[in-house]
Amino acid sequence: MSIMKLLSIAAKAKVVTRRYPFEPPVVTEGFRGKIEVDPKLCWGCGVCTRICPPNALTLKKREDGTLVLSYFMGRCIFCGMCAEVCPRGAITVTKEFELASLTAEDLVRDVKHDVVRCRICGRVIGPTVEIREATKSVGGAEAKYYDLCPECRKLVVARGIMTKVGVRP
Amino acid sequence: MGEQGRYLPECPEMSEVVRKLTEEYGGHVIFSRESEVYIEVPRHELKDVAKYLYSSGAFLKTCAAVDERPLNRSFALYHIFGMDSKGYDVIVKVSAPEDDAWVPSTVDVVPAADWCELEARDMVGIELKGRRLVRRLVLPEDWPEDIHPLRKEVPHDFRPPSVKAESEFRPPERGIPIGPYHPVLHEPEYFELLVEGETVVDVYYRGFHVHRGIEKLGESPRFTYQKIPFLAERICGICGFVHSTCAIMAMEKAAGIRPPERAEFIRTIVLELERIHSHLLWVGVAAHVLGYDAGFMHTWRVREPVMILSELITGSRKTYGLNLVGGVRRDIDKDKMEKIMKTLDRVEKEFKELANLLVSVPQIRRRAQGTGVLTRSEARALSVVGPVARASGLYRDVRKDYPYLAYKEASFKVPLYTEGDNLARVLVRVEEVFESISIIKQLLDKLPGGPIMHEKCSAIIPVDELIPPGKYAVAAIEAPRGEDVHFLMTGEGRPYRWRVRAPTYQNIPALRPMLRGDPLADAPLTIASIDPCFSCTDRALVIDVRTGRARTIKLWDGGVGTCRL
Repeated sequence: MSIMKLLSIAAKAKVVTRRYPFEPPVVTEGFRGKIEVDPKLCWGCGVCTRICPPNALTLKKREDGTLVLSYFMGRCIFCGMCAEVCPRGAITVTKEFELASLTAEDLVRDVKHDVVRCRICGRVIGPTVEIREATKSVGGAEAKYYDLCPECRKLVVARGIMTKVGVRP
Repeated sequence: MGEQGRYLPECPEMSEVVRKLTEEYGGHVIFSRESEVYIEVPRHELKDVAKYLYSSGAFLKTCAAVDERPLNRSFALYHIFGMDSKGYDVIVKVSAPEDDAWVPSTVDVVPAADWCELEARDMVGIELKGRRLVRRLVLPEDWPEDIHPLRKEVPHDFRPPSVKAESEFRPPERGIPIGPYHPVLHEPEYFELLVEGETVVDVYYRGFHVHRGIEKLGESPRFTYQKIPFLAERICGICGFVHSTCAIMAMEKAAGIRPPERAEFIRTIVLELERIHSHLLWVGVAAHVLGYDAGFMHTWRVREPVMILSELITGSRKTYGLNLVGGVRRDIDKDKMEKIMKTLDRVEKEFKELANLLVSVPQIRRRAQGTGVLTRSEARALSVVGPVARASGLYRDVRKDYPYLAYKEASFKVPLYTEGDNLARVLVRVEEVFESISIIKQLLDKLPGGPIMHEKCSAIIPVDELIPPGKYAVAAIEAPRGEDVHFLMTGEGRPYRWRVRAPTYQNIPALRPMLRGDPLADAPLTIASIDPCFSCTDRALVIDVRTGRARTIKLWDGGVGTCRL
C-alpha cells in the first residue's frame, strides 16, 4: 500500500537532479559570492579591513613602499559588509562562487597603492590617491602641507608663526 | 526598563520571588529589567534557593561561570532560572572569592545543572562542593590541571602543552562504542552503551570534541559587537540564524534599543524558514537511520526549494549574514513575498503527502512507537527543551512563554504529545513544519512598513558606543531543536562574558533515560531523535592539541582523543 503511494509521489516529482557542472548552477538573484575591488576607485583607506569579520581583507605595508589592500578568498565568508561600508563604492559583490584552485595564490587579489612620504622625515603618511583627493577637498592654505607627516607639519607651522612674530626658532 | 538595584513591581509573581529571595535568603537585587531580575545570594544559600525556585515551577536554562577577578577579586556563577509559565527569568548570582573558589553544587535538587556546573569547573576553575561525581566534561583529558581557558589571564590563542592523561571517570565495565565517527552521528561524539544481552542498561557519554573556542574568541580583541553576529552565526550549521539573532537580542537589550517593527517581522520570518528546513532535514535523516532511504531522498527534495528561498531572501543558503545590531540588512519586497508564498504552498502540499506516507509505513511505525521513551517527570527534572520536551507532554515553547520579535502577531498551535517515544518526536516536528508555514504566511500578510534598521545603527556606525559596559542581558529563542539561550555581560567594546547554551546541550543528558531498557538496535534512532547538534553543544574550547599520536590507542584514553583536532 505505502509502496504504491511512494511510487505515485516519485512519478510526480520525476528527475530533479541537475546535470551540474554540465548545466549552469542555480543561483538566485539574491546570492552573494566573492567580491571585486575596483583599483581605479579604491583609495586604500582600509575601512573595509576594519569591518571584515574574518579578516579576509587586510591592508599591508610592503617593503618597497607600496600599500596593498589584499583580499584572500580562502578566509572570506561572503557577507558583503565591505561593500556596504566602502565610502568609494569600489567594492562589488559578484555571484561567482566556483573559486576552487590548486594554488593558494589564486585565491588572493591585491590592489596596490603608491604612498606619499613625508618630505622632511621620509615616513609613510598614506596612500597617494587618498592624500591627493583629501587635499583637493580641503584646499586653501592646508593644501601645501599635504606631503608632511603630522609631527613635521606641527614643526613647520610653528616655525612659520615664530618667524612671523620675529622670534628666532 | 528597570534601573540598577531596583525591580519592577508590576509583575506580582516576580516581586514575590524577589521578596522571598531577598528577605528569606539574604539576597539583594543587582540589576533588573522588564523580564529579568538578577539577584545575588550568599553562596551557602544557593542550594536552598535553587530548590525553592525549581520546585515553584522554574526551569533551569543554564548556569554561566564568570571570572570577575579584574572587577571584584572573585569568581561568579550565574544560574539562569526561567519561569516559563510567567514569562520572566530569575538570574541567581553567587560569588566565590579568588582564594577560596568554590560554590555548592545544586545537582541534587536541580538535575539539569549537571553539565553547566562541570563546565564552570573546567572552564573557569570553580570547585563544586557536595557533588559526588566530579569529572571533566569539556576539557580533554590531556589538558593541564591548572589552566582554565575562560579565565581572563589566559590569552584567546593560547595552546598549552599536552600532559599525560589521568583522572578521567570511567564506568567499570566496557560497553559497545557508538562514535566518535558513526553514520548516525553527523559530528564526532562518543557514546558507550553498556548492555545485558540485547538490552541497554546504561550509557556513558563523552563529547565536546569539536570545541572551537567561540565564547573566548568573542571576548578577545579580535572581535567587536558588530562582528559578533557573524561569529555567532557559525556556532551551528543548521540554526545559525537562531544564534545570530539571539546574540543580537542580548546586545540590543543591553543597549536598550529595539529594532524597527519591520526588521522584527523579517527576523521572525527567516527564523521560521530555518525551522522548516531544519525539521525537513531531520525527518529525512530519521528515515535514513531507519533504512528508509526513499523517504530520506524525497524529504530532502521537498526541502530544497526552502533553501533556495533562503538564499533569495538573505544572500546565502545558510549563514545568512542578514542580522546587524539594530535591524536587518535586506528587505523583503513584493516580488520576494510572492515567491515565498508560492514556494510555501508547494512545500506544504508536497510535505503533507509525504508526511502522511512516512508515518503510515508500518516498518517506521513499529520502530518508532514505544522506543526511546522519556517520561514527563524525567523531562521536567532535566529541563529538556524543544520538540523533545513537547513529545513528552511538557508544554515548553519560548515563542509562547516569552513572546519575542513578532510572534505575538501570529496565531499558532504548539503540538503536544504525551507518549514521549520516538514516534511522538517525529509527529511533533512534522506538525511544527505546517505551523511554521502558517506563521510565515500570517506575518507576510501583516508585514508593516517602515525602515529595517534602527536610526542609531547601520553597518558603518560602530555600535560599541551604544552598549555600555557592566550590563547584563539574557536572550532566548525557540530554535528548531528547542530553547537557545545567550547570556551576555558587557565589557569595553566587546562582551566581558558571552555564554551560549544551545538546545542540544540541554537534551543530551536525557538520552540516558531514553536509551536505558531499550533494545540495542533502537539506540541509533533514539540518539538521532533528539536531533543532536554537536557543534552547537561544543562551542567553547581553545584547543588545537594533537594527542594520542604517540600512545597506543585504547578505547578509553585514545579513542576519545584521536578525533580531536
